[in-house]
Amino acid sequence: MSDLPAAGAEAPAFSLTDRQGATLAFDGGAAAGATLLFFFKHDCATCELTAPLVERLHRALGPHGLRVAGVSQDPEADTAGFVDRHGLGFDVALDADLTVSADYGFDAVPALVLAGAARRVRHSFEGFARQDLVALIERAAGACGVPAPAIIREEDGLPDHRPGCGSKVHDPEVARRLAVRRGAATLGARRVRIPVDDDPFEFMASQGLDDGLPVVPPTEARVLRMLEGTTRPASEVVAHVPPNLAPATVEKVAINAVMAGCRPEYLPVVIAAAEAACTDAFNLHGVLATTYFATPVIVVNGPIRRRIGLNCGGNVFGQGFRANATIGRALQLLVRNVGGGRPGEVDMSTLGQPGKFTCCIGEHEEVSGWEPLHVERGFPAGTSTVTVFAGEAPRAIRDQLSRTARSLGASMGWCLETMAHPKLHRMGEVLLVVSPEHARTFARESCTKADLRARIQEVTARPLRELLPDDECQKGMALGTLPPEYLGPDGRPTAEALDTPLPKFRRDDDILIVVAGGTAGKFSAMLGGWASGAAGSTAVTREITGQRPVRNALQTR
Amino acid sequence: MRNESPVILDPTDERAPMGRQPAARPARLDGPLGIIDIAKARGDVFCDEVERLVRERLPSVDVIRLRKPTYTKPAPGDLRDEVGARCRAVIQALAD
Repeated sequence: MSDLPAAGAEAPAFSLTDRQGATLAFDGGAAAGATLLFFFKHDCATCELTAPLVERLHRALGPHGLRVAGVSQDPEADTAGFVDRHGLGFDVALDADLTVSADYGFDAVPALVLAGAARRVRHSFEGFARQDLVALIERAAGACGVPAPAIIREEDGLPDHRPGCGSKVHDPEVARRLAVRRGAATLGARRVRIPVDDDPFEFMASQGLDDGLPVVPPTEARVLRMLEGTTRPASEVVAHVPPNLAPATVEKVAINAVMAGCRPEYLPVVIAAAEAACTDAFNLHGVLATTYFATPVIVVNGPIRRRIGLNCGGNVFGQGFRANATIGRALQLLVRNVGGGRPGEVDMSTLGQPGKFTCCIGEHEEVSGWEPLHVERGFPAGTSTVTVFAGEAPRAIRDQLSRTARSLGASMGWCLETMAHPKLHRMGEVLLVVSPEHARTFARESCTKADLRARIQEVTARPLRELLPDDECQKGMALGTLPPEYLGPDGRPTAEALDTPLPKFRRDDDILIVVAGGTAGKFSAMLGGWASGAAGSTAVTREITGQRPVRNALQTR
Repeated sequence: MRNESPVILDPTDERAPMGRQPAARPARLDGPLGIIDIAKARGDVFCDEVERLVRERLPSVDVIRLRKPTYTKPAPGDLRDEVGARCRAVIQALAD
């Protein structure tokens, strides 16, 4: 829709160069007389029709004070052909980067703007319209204090109307460039110019901005495009990222999301993951600094999974799915670049794990007989959420033979007992990822998540005496982790306590259960937790807000 | 081929990290010495042994035993303040 300034509006000032390289400015103040601006492009039939009329007006009213200025949307060579063809005697400026055309907001050329003192518009129109032209001539003459000259001749055979041609501003490539120019001014991040002879990928690696794999250079155009994925303002601080507790704005999240390879519609998920991970409860500083394997494992629930193509099915922890691969990676890059958490510095993991590149899955809610994770944690089913969990890499739970919930629950319990060490009980959180085939076995018997948790606790419960360090294995439960009532006056476990069975997990609810994976395969997975609870890390769920539909991104550069 | 140098947006927090310069190592231990247990398993055993050795070899030095609430998080502010106010030097046990 055209935004050409109408009568009474103030026309934008500009300064361009003319065909000879001289400055042509339109910045008239209150004392300036009338000015007629004629925007055109060389290959437009309606511009061809209009140009002779503008030239006549220039010759008729120029001596009386009307200033006429052409503004060409073409390069010099095309403009010269147009000027020569019509014998134009007025000044013509080159709107080489089309910023002035964009400022004037017209959709079609020709566009004519008659302005008076203080650039106040007296009349304007685009395309060709005889009535508009007559009105413009009358007002131009009035501004010059002379009668309206005869500009339109019968032998011209002019139509009443002829639509103009599309302004070059709307060419896709130009529109994108102009949008970047306008939007870039709203971005606050420091600009880094890559030396002209450097490969951008090598440059970014040399600056330590990557995770060992190449990252996408975050150009202004890409970051602006990324920001279209959220309704939240670019300057909003969404988290303070450990270890440096540096503020992460939506813009900084977007920059790192670009580098990770995200599409704009993933950005709200990355933001929510950052919000969840940068809470006291999740304790990202500890998760990062530990010598253990823990890293943020992201579980996405709700409708957004389908909207952004997040994999919830086969190979859910594996490669080949852009949303999964890049959302998890974006969070890791944010921690590295904004938070300053780098391996070998604050990140002191002894062995690390592949999930420290990226780890993001969707719950396969559609094939689960249970309510999904986010509903269990208090969110409506139609809400989209992320849950971050400080987890190890996934490990296999293999059981192709169990046909009852009781048997399968036992298998899962015994596998879960190996988390960290079989003799470590009263542990904190674990993430149990139940495959669809296993989920069906539970669903057949209407076995609830609570039933499964109880079964796991039942089969893993062992007398304390089997869990203490001994000559066979010096690893075992530390006395300090036992309830105080288990210890006698000498600080040693009482006889009664030694015979008390202790389940693997402190609380049933420490067993987080989601359904994910392909529909074939009687394999589930467990992801062990880290030091869980108030002194460690607790899983955190956050709603994904600020979602916005995004156009096809294939042409983003 | 590119004909102009591309511009990227800085993905970092844009502030040079504060240089964490440890205080100069004292030439000799002649003031209160803090021994901080970071609360990892058996850290107390190690710290006990360090304290025994300090008392044996430097009987004039006062020893102050301190302990972080948990090894999983940075030392809380009041503990850092206490170290700054009471100790001339500290020994911190870092592992189990």
